[in-house]
Order: sequence, then C-alpha cells, then structure tokens
Amino acid sequence: MNFIRKRILIAIIVFIVALNLDFFLPRLVPGNIAQTYASGHLMPTQDVQLIEARFGLNQPLYIQYFDFIKNVFSWPPYFGVSFQFYPQPVTSLVLSRTEWTLILIAASGLIAAVWAFAFAAVSAMRRGGKFEMSSLYSSIIFWSIPGFWFAMLLIWVFGVSLRWFPIFGTVGYNVVPGSMSYALSVIWHAVLPVTTLSLIMYGHYYIILRGSSQEALASDYVIAARGRGLRERVVSLKYVMRNSILPVVSLLGFSIAQLVSIEVVVEAVYSYAGVGDLIVDAVLYRDYPLIEGTFFYLTMVVILFGLFGDFLLIKLDPRLTR
Amino acid sequence: MASKKKQSSSLSLSFKNGRFGILYSIFWKKTRAKIGTCILLFFFVLLIVGPFLYPYSPYAISGAKNQPPSLAHVFGTDYQGKDVLSQVIYGAYPSLLAGIVSALGGTILGLLLGVIAGYFSKVEGAISAASDVVITFPAIPLLVMIGMLYPQIDQLLILALILILWPVAARAIRSQVLSVKNRPYVEAAKASGMGDWEIIRKIIIPEVTAIAFAWFVLSVATAIIILVALEFLGVGSPDVVSWGSIFYWAQQFAFYSGDWWWVLAPGISITLVTAAFAMIGFSLEEAMNPRLIR
Repeated sequence: MNFIRKRILIAIIVFIVALNLDFFLPRLVPGNIAQTYASGHLMPTQDVQLIEARFGLNQPLYIQYFDFIKNVFSWPPYFGVSFQFYPQPVTSLVLSRTEWTLILIAASGLIAAVWAFAFAAVSAMRRGGKFEMSSLYSSIIFWSIPGFWFAMLLIWVFGVSLRWFPIFGTVGYNVVPGSMSYALSVIWHAVLPVTTLSLIMYGHYYIILRGSSQEALASDYVIAARGRGLRERVVSLKYVMRNSILPVVSLLGFSIAQLVSIEVVVEAVYSYAGVGDLIVDAVLYRDYPLIEGTFFYLTMVVILFGLFGDFLLIKLDPRLTR
Repeated sequence: MASKKKQSSSLSLSFKNGRFGILYSIFWKKTRAKIGTCILLFFFVLLIVGPFLYPYSPYAISGAKNQPPSLAHVFGTDYQGKDVLSQVIYGAYPSLLAGIVSALGGTILGLLLGVIAGYFSKVEGAISAASDVVITFPAIPLLVMIGMLYPQIDQLLILALILILWPVAARAIRSQVLSVKNRPYVEAAKASGMGDWEIIRKIIIPEVTAIAFAWFVLSVATAIIILVALEFLGVGSPDVVSWGSIFYWAQQFAFYSGDWWWVLAPGISITLVTAAFAMIGFSLEEAMNPRLIR
C-alpha cells in the first residue's frame, strides 16, 4: 500500500477508536458520571436525575451511542456541555483555546526538529568527539527530565528570580489584539513554554536521529563515499543524514503524540491557556464531558500534525511515494 | 580497523557460545552504561537502607516549616515541616514499582506481538497497524481521563500504561525476528520437522530476549516519566507520598515560601534515576543492533 494512503487509513482508525473510547470509557463507570459527579458535590437525588436527563444518561446505551455519533458529525461537533463552565459547549471551550496549543506545538516541534537534525549532522561528521558526546549526554538528560519539573525550574529561575519572562498566561492584559505589541507579548509569554518543550523534544529527536545516522554510517555506501575522497561535510549531509530520515518516519506519529502529551503538563505549569491547561482544569473540577472533549481534540491535533509531518517527509525522501 | 574486524567476527560467532557475554562486553565499554549503572546502584541502596537509617516519616511533621537543607534534614523541610528526603525515599516506592510493573507488562506484550508479527507474515499488517494506532494516542491525556473516571481502581492505570507501552518494544523485536527467521539454522529446524511454535519457543524467543530486555529498561524510564506526570496532575491520590505528588504540593506552596530545595532535590533525584535507566537502555539497544559495528 502507498505510504500516504496507509497513513490516512491509520488516521481514520485512530479517529474511530478515539470516538469509541470517548463514548464507552465514561459510560462503563459504575453508576454513571452524573452520580459520580454528584457524590463529590453532595447533591440531592432529584438533581442527579435532572443531570441524567439533561445529558441523556437515562436512555438505553444504543440510543445514547446513536445520538453521540450524530452529534459529533454535526457542525460544530457536539461533545456535550461542560459541567463546570455550564452551559458552554465543550467544543467552543476547546476551540477558543486551540490556537495557543497549536502555536506551542508547531514552534517547539519545529525548533526541536531543526536543532536535533543539525546536531546529529555535526555529530556524524565528528564521530566520538566532544561535540557528539556532549550532545548525546544532554539529549539523554532532556529525554529523561520530567516536563513539569523542568517547567517549574525555568519559572523559578527566569520568571521569579530574574524576572525576565512572565510566569503565567498567553498574552499581557493591556495590549490591543492585532497590534505589534500584542504579537510581541504573545512571543514574550511563549518563550519559557517553548523552551521547555523544544529542549525535551530535542532530546527525543536527537536520540532517534543519532540511532539511524549511526546505522547509515556503518553502511557500505558511506564507506564508499569516503573512499572516493568526499569531504566529511558532504558525506554527513548528503549520504548519512539523507538516509537517516527514513527510520524517523515510522516514529513520527509517536514523537508527536509524546510532544502533545508533555505539552499538556507544561501548559498546566505555565497556566498557558491552551487545551492542555483546560484538560487539567477539567480533572480538577471532575468535569467529565470536558475531559472527553479535550482528549478527543488533542488526539485530532496529533493526527493533523502527524499527517503534516508525513507530507514533509515525502518531500525529503522521495522513496516513500513508491 | 583491526579492532572493528575482530568485533564483527566475534559477533557472528556469538550464536554458539557466550552471546550474552559479548553483548555485555560491548555494552560495558560505553561510559554511559557505567554511569547509569552506578546511579541506579546508588539509588537502590538508598531506597533499601534509607528507611532504616533515616529517622523521619514522610507523613509526619518532623521539624520547623520551610527549613533549608541542613545536617538534620538533608533536603530540608516542606511547608508543613515534613522532611523532603524521606518523601523522596518513600515516594520512590509507588512510582518505581508501578513503573517497573507496567514496563514489564508492556515488554512482555510487545515481545509476544513482535514475535508473532515477525514470524507469521499474515498477521504482520494487522499488528503493525494496531501499533501505529496505539502510538498515535497522546498517553498523558488518555491516562488522565482513565485515572479520573475510575479513581477507585488503582491497577487500571497500570493496565492502560501496558497497553500504551507495547508498540515500541514490539517494533524493535519484530525487525529482529525478521532478520533471524531466514537464517540457515531456522531453515534446518523447519526441515527437521519442528513446528512453528516450537521454533518460536526454542530459537526465536532466546534470540530476541536481549533486545526485549533493552526495551524493558527503556520502558521503565518512559513509564516513570508518565506516571510521575500523572501524580503531579493529581490523578490518583495526592495524599499518598509519591515522586509526582511531592510536586503536586510543591507547585502550590513552594513558590510562595521560596523553598527552592523542596523543588530542586526531588526533581534532580527523579531525573537522575530516569536518566540512568535511559543510559543503560540506550546502551543495551546500541550494543544489540547488528547494523552497528563500532
């Protein structure tokens, strides 16, 4: 099967699985989510029944399923109404924050990928040298560091102590949207979250790229290229790195899922008003519909960026189209 | 060049005897393998001996509030006067245990599915599609959802983590099986009338155990990082002392009181342990990759 067709098929399966998880996970809870929610808030029984009726939880399961699917495929997709931010629909809550999450993911994913690629290329040129060892060790550290802790450290040093960067939020209070100062304020607020995410993702990407570039370095065509007297720079970029891209392809979806996963926690620490911060609020308030909605949309973000990355990789490695 | 040659020939001979011995010597040549092992040994000793030597309970108020590190309280005390080092020691147990159990489950599942996918080409497409689907789900949001909906079932999170972790191991094991399955001795076993499952059990699985172990070590690191993040977000019970729950409280109180040690010391400990697992895991994986001759 053609590479991109296969990827689209996988994306469709992920979409279906995510929908079903969203439907069945909350409905398999002992009792139901209205009762669980009510038990945390000491509600009387008739209120619980009202919630059940409002959310259709007293209907037979197949009718609920039918309604759920119908609602999701309407426009805008309907995931119910938030408990905490009642009566706002989950979708509008999520969509109002999506742009911030997209900014963080796009910026840090891109920075991390370019950086890791450059470092892996230089490492391939000077194998076993100080440069390779220091980037290897630093990437292992960034791979291992818990995202939330790293975020807390950066807040402490650059936000609280040095006061170089704001410690929370996406944009300043008194800036006019659309102005130059607005754009600057957005960048200003994004510096710490993007730094956190891109350093961690640099660790992930560098380790993957180094693994595949080492395999390329041990291959015959690289030895042959060296034998022809090509310069190390040419060997590294044209022979080693070009061929290191292919193994990365199969891990692309995985690394984007990881990026989104870490992003949730990092947004929470920086109180960055994206979808990740929303899901953490939803946990705090036991807001079940909101959790389902945010999970679904975050999975869609992974699918979208994954497909985008696939198209990018085809440009870099034409063998994939075959 | 001479040493390279020697290594490659010893690799190809290694199927007869001392396969693990040779892998071990390649592994042990790497400095990061040694560093990782030393860190892990240090922490395991600390975790075993610590509760006996270090006098404080992580739940009891054992000193003044917000004390910086001193001889009495090595990592200082938190906003309630609880000792931070004892929280690091006792908090390691739930986090490490859950991490190791889920990594073990994930690796075993990955080993089974990877071997089946590599050996039986009919089901390969289905298994690799399943693994592609699983790795596309962002782990933390999914686990947050599960942990929140079923807070009363502790094991459910570990089970879910197992179902998330298997594809990475399965992928590596599958490609190893593909390279093993067409070797002459497998052909010979087939010709001598061995059944598929017997070949898998007697030849294939022993060949891939080593790489499965490498992925087990790496999965422990991944599982710990995910679990600690969940605990930090308040999934499960923040009142149980664990590596993540330390930060659940620190995030709310440490900034205001300026208790930098409360954030710094536990974070460095966690990072060192996960980095140690990662250093060992990546070194093992590299030592076992037949395409690398270094």
